[in-house]
Amino acid sequence: MNAKLTARDRMTRLLAVIPWVVEQDGALLDDVATRFDYPRDRLVADLTEVVLFVGVHPFTPDSLIEVDITDDRVQIRYADWFSQPLRLTPEEGARLLTAGRSVLSLDSDTQDDADMDPERASPLLRALTKLGMALGESAERAVDVRLGDAPEATLDTLRQAVAAGTQVELNYYTYGRDELTTRVVDPARVFSDHGNWYLHGYCHRADDERVFRVDRVRDVRPLGTPIEHQLDTGGGSFTPDGDDPRVQLHLPADAGWVVEQYPTEAVETRPDGSIDVVMAVTATPWLERLLLRLGPGAQIVEATDTIAEDLVPQAAARVLARYRR
Amino acid sequence: MDKLERLLNLAAALLDADRPLTADELRDRIGGYPDGKATFRRAFERDKDDLRAMGLPIAVEPVPGSDPPTDGYRMRRADYSGAEIRLEPDELAALHLATNLVRLDGAESGLIKLGAGGESAADQVGYVPFDDSLAVLIAAAADRKSVTFTYNETVRAVEPWQLSFSRGHWYLAGWDRVREDERLYRVDRIDGDVEPGDDATHEVGSVDDPKDLRGWELGDGEAIRARVQIDAVQAAHARHLLGTVEEQADGSVIADMDVRNPEAFRSFVLSFLDHAEVLDPPELRQGVVDWLESFA
Repeated sequence: MNAKLTARDRMTRLLAVIPWVVEQDGALLDDVATRFDYPRDRLVADLTEVVLFVGVHPFTPDSLIEVDITDDRVQIRYADWFSQPLRLTPEEGARLLTAGRSVLSLDSDTQDDADMDPERASPLLRALTKLGMALGESAERAVDVRLGDAPEATLDTLRQAVAAGTQVELNYYTYGRDELTTRVVDPARVFSDHGNWYLHGYCHRADDERVFRVDRVRDVRPLGTPIEHQLDTGGGSFTPDGDDPRVQLHLPADAGWVVEQYPTEAVETRPDGSIDVVMAVTATPWLERLLLRLGPGAQIVEATDTIAEDLVPQAAARVLARYRR
Repeated sequence: MDKLERLLNLAAALLDADRPLTADELRDRIGGYPDGKATFRRAFERDKDDLRAMGLPIAVEPVPGSDPPTDGYRMRRADYSGAEIRLEPDELAALHLATNLVRLDGAESGLIKLGAGGESAADQVGYVPFDDSLAVLIAAAADRKSVTFTYNETVRAVEPWQLSFSRGHWYLAGWDRVREDERLYRVDRIDGDVEPGDDATHEVGSVDDPKDLRGWELGDGEAIRARVQIDAVQAAHARHLLGTVEEQADGSVIADMDVRNPEAFRSFVLSFLDHAEVLDPPELRQGVVDWLESFA
């Protein structure tokens, strides 16, 4: 995981390694390397070239840590100062608590079982309870994570289909195009990103890879037929289609969030703070929504001819008509 | 001398001290520092910062009997080891797996300290954005400490109750000491750092179900009850987003919304384009009309 460890990374590891090895009364180097994510060569070098010389004034042999490596085992003695593990900082604890609670939220059965029988509690719940006690009296309710809010039944069906390698039929609402379609999909992976659940799969209607938002799946039907396309599921984030029309927008200074929220291609900030940006437009309603929301301060500077120049005034007039009837 | 060796020796010296040691005493005891006074001081300050960033609790105390008064440094063993967290192997493995399933920025150092480092075979199923401000807020909520931060160009003193991640954003619910009322904040709109403060005094209140937070409910103003009609084609989408809605005979739905932030409310209604209409109250309806007319 870590090709290059900084002095701080190595010290954090050593302050955890030393008390552990002392308590075990010696340990296999391979076990230490795995447990503390410490490349074995680096570990051996740090133990024999650094730790061996650590101690306190006057650094006579009896005031130094003793490290003994025989065959594949390491023994550490006289490391009194570091015989207890360094505390977790509250911030480190908060991160672990959050990761743990996020995973608990995946399983709807365990979510509200704070007072369940400890004998039967999952190892994760037990770990979080212990962690919580170290963090403070209110740790139990300090953090609450929702990875997405798609219907549990839909997620279950999709996960089962991924595991079984079978096709599903989706009735899917395309928000950008504002249309409902039915399609057969070879599901590859279900994942959560920034609070939404997604399905990555091969869509037979588009004849291409697609990423679907699970909360926009109106209906899913397991087909039971084996999938035809195996996808590499390493990625999962969106990249705009090369053929989608492009639009250049001029945005007021307070619309910087647009750049953070949507994939953009060229961004330039003018001296007055306003922003020029080029974006791919997957569908016209999407662009109408964005610009109606931003107000007249945001403008289309240039667009491919599939996008009407007066797109936004027209959209505004269409919505207004509804209020005037 | 290797920097790592010097840092370890500094930590050992601070833990070994039974009284605060001055910077000069530490230099003499540890060695490995540059000779010049100014360059030594810079290197020493950097080392202290590094140790603190790892979580080593270095205390700064006046050196007894020093004249002029001088600050010294030491580290108490009880502070160093903190509350003991003794995890069984299956608990460690579960925590390890959890941090691989749901990726959080910066979760690694805590795992290493607990001895649960390394990769796991599990496929990541989720990514949750996370930063240092959030870590400080969660830690403060867990330990019932107040916090101060700048939000909407105002400095707030808040007793945090709960941090919730919902629909891609982190929210803080807590007691606003200045306004003497419960408030919700979007964590990503906090300007600059969050500073932890004194002990919280107000009891932990009941937060509206934070899972149902919506942008238009976040604001300092009084809540206004609004009624919005959404066409049949978007009814399912609206029901999913809003929960309870009134079904109409023509398939459309009417939703009641509590609005504290009219701009966010307007954005939400406009996201339905011409498939939604604000029915009530007149001032929010007029607000949407005025906004749309400004495009002409």
